[in-house]
Amino acid sequence: MADMVKLSVNGQEVEVESGKNLIDALGAVGIEIPHLCYHPALGADGNCRMCLVGIEDGRPPLVPACKTPAQEGMKVQLDTDKIKKIQRDIMELELINHPIDCPICDQAGECSLQDYYMQYDGQTSRMNVPQVLKGKKLDFGCGVIHDQERCVLCARCVRFTRQVTKTGELGIVNRTDAARVNIFPGRPLDNRYALNVVDLCPVGAMTSKDFRFKQRVWFLSKDKGICHGCSKGCNIFIDHNREKYKDDIIYRFRPRLNEQVNGYFICDEGRMTYKKENDGRITQAKANGDNCSNEKAVQSLKEALGHASKPAFLVSPNCSMEQIVAVKKLASQHSATVSGFSDGYIKPGDGDDFLIQDDKSANRAGLELLGIDLSKATFDALVEATDLLIVFDNDLSMSLDEAALSALAGKTKIAVVGAYDSPLVGQATFVYPVASYSEYSGTVVNADKVVQTFDTAVVKNDPLEDIVAVAGLLGGEISDNNQAWKEIKVSVEALKDVEPEMIPEQGLALTVDEGSDDAA
Amino acid sequence: MQVKILSARFDIEDAHKIEVAKEHGAYATLDKVFSMEPAEVIEEVKNSGLRGRGGAGFPTGLKWSFLPKGIDKPVYLAVNSDESEPATFKDRYILVRDPHMLIEGIIICCYAIRSNHAYIYIRGEYTTQVKALQAAIDEAYAAGYLGNTVDGKDYAVDITVHRGAGAYVCGEETALLESIEGKKGQPRSKPPFPAVEGLYGCPTIINNVQSIASLPFIITNGADAYKAYGTEKSPGTHLFGISGLVEKPGMYELPLGLPILEVIEKVAGGVKGGKKLKGVIPGGSSTPVLTPEEAKTVTLDYESMAEHKTMFGSGGIVVLDEDVDVVKLVKNLIDFYHHESCGQCTPCREGLGWMLKIVKKILSGNGTIDDVNLLRELCDNIEMKTVCVLSAACTMPVRAFLDKFRHEFEAYVQ
Repeated sequence: MADMVKLSVNGQEVEVESGKNLIDALGAVGIEIPHLCYHPALGADGNCRMCLVGIEDGRPPLVPACKTPAQEGMKVQLDTDKIKKIQRDIMELELINHPIDCPICDQAGECSLQDYYMQYDGQTSRMNVPQVLKGKKLDFGCGVIHDQERCVLCARCVRFTRQVTKTGELGIVNRTDAARVNIFPGRPLDNRYALNVVDLCPVGAMTSKDFRFKQRVWFLSKDKGICHGCSKGCNIFIDHNREKYKDDIIYRFRPRLNEQVNGYFICDEGRMTYKKENDGRITQAKANGDNCSNEKAVQSLKEALGHASKPAFLVSPNCSMEQIVAVKKLASQHSATVSGFSDGYIKPGDGDDFLIQDDKSANRAGLELLGIDLSKATFDALVEATDLLIVFDNDLSMSLDEAALSALAGKTKIAVVGAYDSPLVGQATFVYPVASYSEYSGTVVNADKVVQTFDTAVVKNDPLEDIVAVAGLLGGEISDNNQAWKEIKVSVEALKDVEPEMIPEQGLALTVDEGSDDAA
Repeated sequence: MQVKILSARFDIEDAHKIEVAKEHGAYATLDKVFSMEPAEVIEEVKNSGLRGRGGAGFPTGLKWSFLPKGIDKPVYLAVNSDESEPATFKDRYILVRDPHMLIEGIIICCYAIRSNHAYIYIRGEYTTQVKALQAAIDEAYAAGYLGNTVDGKDYAVDITVHRGAGAYVCGEETALLESIEGKKGQPRSKPPFPAVEGLYGCPTIINNVQSIASLPFIITNGADAYKAYGTEKSPGTHLFGISGLVEKPGMYELPLGLPILEVIEKVAGGVKGGKKLKGVIPGGSSTPVLTPEEAKTVTLDYESMAEHKTMFGSGGIVVLDEDVDVVKLVKNLIDFYHHESCGQCTPCREGLGWMLKIVKKILSGNGTIDDVNLLRELCDNIEMKTVCVLSAACTMPVRAFLDKFRHEFEAYVQ
């Protein structure tokens, strides 16, 4: 527990964490101080002047809250006429040269300038002289579009490229009201986290080329999720919407704060994996090589499984813990082995020392915890003996080349129970489309052995079954997450006393490093 | 009325050369300095009552005593020679006519504050001055007054000349430090103050050229000799730059405390062409104007200026005659400060440009009384909300002109 100090805000005593600046310290107890340039991940810069607060008997009596640590006995004034007037005056000055093009601005609805105008300003414009004109829709690279006129020069984006990515592509050039954020000529943004400047930007100056003009943000449902782009398990918001007469579509991923996992940011590749959720999904079920309804497909597959002399099961390192135990249980009922072979998901050397991992799957650590064999040798032996290989969401084409894939299809019948289209689907006798991770709830364990749960975010017009339910439909004893958790608690020592609802928002870091011995 | 303390060698031919300067007393005080303890030097300067000649008038000796004690980082001296405030032209005389006085002062200051390295931040436009200064520094190195030993004493002093690139704001002491460090010249938030965390994160004292140049006299002749000039709270002499509509504009060394109108009359020859006085800007463009009526009781010292709600500033006196168009003058003022705003803080960055456009509108004849009122209100809205006082350097004089000469603005909007 951090040291606490008592101070007064508008005459009311509050207890806050010592050492934090006033914005964070008071923010933690629900007292908002408006600010544009300060960001907890980037530190205080003190240029916007929006967070000026009064300190009674203070020297000086007016200070920027972002640069002022909370101290015992401090008397902070936020609601005096003087402070309210300063906030109104600063907002007026922020807006005089702002285009106020909210109707065509993507930031509208999540814009600090809009919110602060309503909360702290509200006056009619007195600007009756020509505005400063600057550059519009500048392509800064990496899918970032910049509007210098909307910019409030808070320098969050500049500080991000200097402090976080350490690539320094952005700077503020010129002085006075000619100051603007820019790149060096011919040297656009060139880092794998560039789109975070769009989230960091408190106004509509930095927009994403991918998201621009696609949706008004107030129509978006913003649900929590875990990125499955790599084994970091970054926390995200899944922003989606079902437009009239259409299906529920994801429009963007945004980072969601988790100090234990990803902090405030996500990588650009992970951010763009939302596209895979909308497009490139398996849309057609197949049974015995012919197109059919989903019901027919699962029925036929169940029959085939019943007749198979030696079925084999392959799960994906993206499967949730619940899915893995459900498939494992189903396999054990058929005295079959489950493989987790997925070498192709690992791109050696692709990771960095920030968020991006070599392993492009979300739950390899979970496979290991559940004792699933990941080796190619085991998989090869399995394939050699089987007459029906049921693949659960594992894109084998990442691990095997085309020839090997064809050879495999020549040897055995393949059933794909998966969400995403892949070359493997074309080779399969049975195909059953299932829900993807944005559509089911489950648990994954990231590369740092942090256990995280996530809920259903997207509900399609025709919802698909989750693999856990499919396992049940195929005759498995586990057909829902509750049953699955009972099995997980038995199988994983470190989780033996854990219920899913006990896993905190920040995730549960496993202290016992189980299963690392049989890592592939 | 004129005295010759700082300007003692100004009129001697070739006094910028070390041998001539030495003949006339340069570097003669070093023996005495090194025989004193650093604390004694600081005490002597404190006793002299010397106040910072850059404009703020903060007591120099007191500033030095803010240095933290017993730390293992180097201490730096930064000499502010940015001299960019309009109507200010005093330090340039020292740089060209008696640079060795400055170098001697730097040695004294470095010894007092236990620094071995001084930076002179000189404005980029001072091409003649930088040549003269650098030549003098080279001479001083050759003569053994700078380097690993100073005048044979076991104390090292190095001087680095750093040229600015033409930004007024780099005269603000923390923007100056940023500029020396090779960064964009933007003021830092304080605290931490430079005496604790300054150049390259080390304790740093920043003094004006004239403040440092005053040290050789103070140490040679003692604090009391310095205090013999000026007033009790504003002792010493000052290089005043008198410009504007006077008969004899120029740089004059005067003791502090003289009546401003008497100085304009007797030293600068009075208002040009015998015209009527409209106002006096007392200490550089950022200081609020005085009406002739107010000027009657103003003396050239920090206290009298404060009593009259203006500032002593840099000693740059500008005389305005009856024909001066105050609105055009205000436009020029805002134009300058708007151009020089570093663009860091919202109020200054956006506000000064707005003020400029409003005053231009008034001048064009398209303004209304609402524009005059808005201009006046913006002075209050912008001032003191920023990291540094550049915006205040604009709004303070503009406010004074608006309050004291409002009828001239109103005439434009009728």
